[in-house]
Amino acid sequence: MSKTEISLAKRRLLLRDSLTFLILTAITVVLFFVTLFLFRSFTSHRAVLAVRWSGRGRDALKAGRPQEAIIALRTGLSYAPGTRSYELLLAQALEAAGRTEEASNYFMGLWTTQPGDGFINLELARLSARKNDPTNAIKYYRASIYGTWEGDGVVRRREVRLELARYLIAQHDLNAARIELLIAAGNSPSSPELSSTLADLLTQAGDLSDAFTNYNRVLKQDSKNQEALQGAGRAAYRLGNFAVAHSLLERALEAKASPSRGKNLPGELETMLENSKRILELRPSGKLRPSERVSRILADSAIAKKRFDGCMLKFDPAEGLPPELLQLQARWASEDSMSRRTLLRSLARQDAAVQLVFDTELQTGQFCGAPSGDDALLLLLAKSPEVMER
Amino acid sequence: MEEKHIMEREPVTHEASAASLTDVAAIAPAREERIFLLLSIFIGIISGLLVVSFRMAIDWLQVLLLGSAPAPHQRRLFIVPAVAGLIVAVLTRYVFPKVRGSGVNQTKAALYINNGYISFRTVIGKFVLSALAIGSGHSLGPEDPSLQIGAGVASLISRRTGMSRERLRLFAPIGAAAGLAAAFNAPISAILFVIEEVIGQWNAAVLGSIVLGAVSSVVVARGFWGSEPMFRIPTVTFDSRELLAYTVLGVFGGIASLMFAKALEYLRPLLRKQPAWAQMLQPGLAGLLVGGIGYFGLPQVMGAGYGAIDQAMHAQFAWKMLLLLALFKIIATTLSFSSGTPGGMFAPTLFIGAMLGASIGTFEKLYFPQLHLTGSLGSYALVGMGVLFAAFLRAPLTSVFMVLEVSGNYSIIVPVILANTIAYVISRSFQPMPVFEMLTHQDGLYLPSMEEQREESELHIEDAMHAVVAPVLQGREKIADAMQSLAQYSDLKGDSVVLVHCGDGLWYAATYEELQGIFAKTDEADPAVSLETRLGKERTPVLFPDLPLASTLPHFKRWPLLPITNRAMWGALEGAVSMSDVLKRYQGR
Repeated sequence: MSKTEISLAKRRLLLRDSLTFLILTAITVVLFFVTLFLFRSFTSHRAVLAVRWSGRGRDALKAGRPQEAIIALRTGLSYAPGTRSYELLLAQALEAAGRTEEASNYFMGLWTTQPGDGFINLELARLSARKNDPTNAIKYYRASIYGTWEGDGVVRRREVRLELARYLIAQHDLNAARIELLIAAGNSPSSPELSSTLADLLTQAGDLSDAFTNYNRVLKQDSKNQEALQGAGRAAYRLGNFAVAHSLLERALEAKASPSRGKNLPGELETMLENSKRILELRPSGKLRPSERVSRILADSAIAKKRFDGCMLKFDPAEGLPPELLQLQARWASEDSMSRRTLLRSLARQDAAVQLVFDTELQTGQFCGAPSGDDALLLLLAKSPEVMER
Repeated sequence: MEEKHIMEREPVTHEASAASLTDVAAIAPAREERIFLLLSIFIGIISGLLVVSFRMAIDWLQVLLLGSAPAPHQRRLFIVPAVAGLIVAVLTRYVFPKVRGSGVNQTKAALYINNGYISFRTVIGKFVLSALAIGSGHSLGPEDPSLQIGAGVASLISRRTGMSRERLRLFAPIGAAAGLAAAFNAPISAILFVIEEVIGQWNAAVLGSIVLGAVSSVVVARGFWGSEPMFRIPTVTFDSRELLAYTVLGVFGGIASLMFAKALEYLRPLLRKQPAWAQMLQPGLAGLLVGGIGYFGLPQVMGAGYGAIDQAMHAQFAWKMLLLLALFKIIATTLSFSSGTPGGMFAPTLFIGAMLGASIGTFEKLYFPQLHLTGSLGSYALVGMGVLFAAFLRAPLTSVFMVLEVSGNYSIIVPVILANTIAYVISRSFQPMPVFEMLTHQDGLYLPSMEEQREESELHIEDAMHAVVAPVLQGREKIADAMQSLAQYSDLKGDSVVLVHCGDGLWYAATYEELQGIFAKTDEADPAVSLETRLGKERTPVLFPDLPLASTLPHFKRWPLLPITNRAMWGALEGAVSMSDVLKRYQGR
């Protein structure tokens, strides 16, 4: 080939290659738009399907048909994988359907991506509690309390803390429950409902003092709140504040007397009211006039002496008495000279007589079984903080 | 004799074009080199677009044919795959006869038998019929067809640009890697698979283009789907105490892959032996049975099953359900694939692996809490996928990289390697022939076995080399001195070899007769001239002991003996090989 021919051939080749690449580019552009059209149309269709199916799932879950919800939500998720709200709904549906293991697995899967999510931790805590796994339940409850929450996190955290306290009470871990309740009480605004709930739970956790405080908070805002009056009265009675208990229970009874409510308190509270009334009659309070106080001391001494004598009869003199009773016996013997006049003359003798009454009830309660009637009430009085009251 | 259905027949139009190609090579010798890389990018982009369309087509068809929420006891689950199977069978027989099978072996066959030729009709057929089959619920995957579609695109483009026969052959793996990379959304795994399973060697000439094509296609695919992998990967965690658990997974993975391979080995030839009319009914019947599995409770096994893989990874199934899904997926895929329905085995393999992995992970966590298995179930599912990939598809390197690439977490590499190795060894021990090779043999083809090639121990020069016994002369010696030196060897004959060490460190292997000729002419020339000057500029090739033994063969036509030198000391003699040494070594293997 001559040089001219070679040059021409080269040009032809260059032209051919350029044309080839031009055609390839054109094909690529056309193919791109076709693919884009297909992709966009299907993507939007998927989005529609995802919304439709998740809506069906949500409705079914609300209507209490968790099985149906599971199918619908799974379908929704297949069209919008990873959508958080659908995943949470599905997990809830699994839980509602009683598929605890699956729900646990599902929530665990969600947890691995968001270990700090309050809701997921709460659900895991509930599932662990259901599976009787207190270690994990408590772990997840705590993680939920310190986790992140959408919306009103303060309220949700408090609710979770209360739920944890309920769980701890059910697990008989009363001290831990009390701590959670006190933290919740410390972080809570003054709300009668919340104070009432806290007081109820504190009562269950055995913290009567704080329960009483919370009932009082309720009563400050709603002095006729029946539950608070009863709860506070019960707490005061158990704390040995019989005067307060009596007053509160009286108010509860008055509040009950309104036409819309029944007239009677629950049996337990009726007894408490009666007992507190009688205790107040028996109590040799230092605030009483001296003659009145001495009269009560003498009456209480008679009750206690009778109880002591009855208790002594249960022991065989040949076998001898326990040292505590022997000591009591000696004290009663020395108090034989106890008379109205001598007591009125000395406040110290009054106090000694009261102490002897209380010691008698405490010791006889120990050696001769539980007392009844006024003895039982004197024993309550002996155990109450009011015993120190002059 | 029955025509081999997977083999493409290259059109006989190359006599004329061969001449024109020679002209082109003469006019622009560097042309092919220059446009090769550019074409690889185009192949990647077009393959990527086609694969995205292919996947969209499958998804659309699935929604249209099976409804937006396929669930048990829907009658269409029975009807649709069966009817689609019949349509696919008719079209396969009368319109697209080369589209049966997965696409991997077809691409290999095109590469080794037909210079990488894949017809445009096959590309269209593969696209349409695979989409219809998978979209209608046949238990097959889109990756292998994507690989063939990519290879087909590459074949078409390379043919249209007038590439030489040698180049045409190189284009098929580029397209295959591009197609697979887009389908997997994982370029490294795709490249490794094509190297490991299709071309079988690290060919530097094509590696750059494969990478370019794969990356281009993945960029396109990610433009549509985003950079997320095919399934959402949960947080992957691993604790070294879990290695025992992963060992168990490796054992079960090996057993599952064996079951799968044995089922295919039994059923596929049995169905292919049936008369033509019966073969026409097979995809429909397979569709009916697969649909039956879906109808009676496991619709997850229908189609590619990515949704179920995603669910398994996110712990949405109990272990018994996962085990059932793995088992029925083996059955469904065996039925669909053996019936000749076009579609791939990658997705079903991943499905089975994910289900098995998640099942074993859940079981171990549930019943052996004392082992403190803290790894997520997603990790088990991922490792399970790798395990089946290694054991069933026999691509161990790809299997490891696939898990790493898909999870994006290298902390999982230890359990992946452990479990994959165990499963691979079990599978190899009980099923010596890899599944792709088994399928080609069933089709009557004998393509190179990549596993054998990988394990073939190549002979090196050191295996045939012996100590130098030939006389050695220094090239710088004057002719007269050289004659005297040579005279010391009395037993030399005409064909005896004498090695001459030249001043530049290179060697010259001369026969005694040749040297005698040179010495005879010294009277006429300057007696002070050195021997190497008289030998001319030609030298024996520089060979080292570690080079392949075959690399010596082309040189024996010119040289009677080849000196082998040390790589560390230039020109230092290690030994020598002759033609007879080489032949003896090959014959003595």
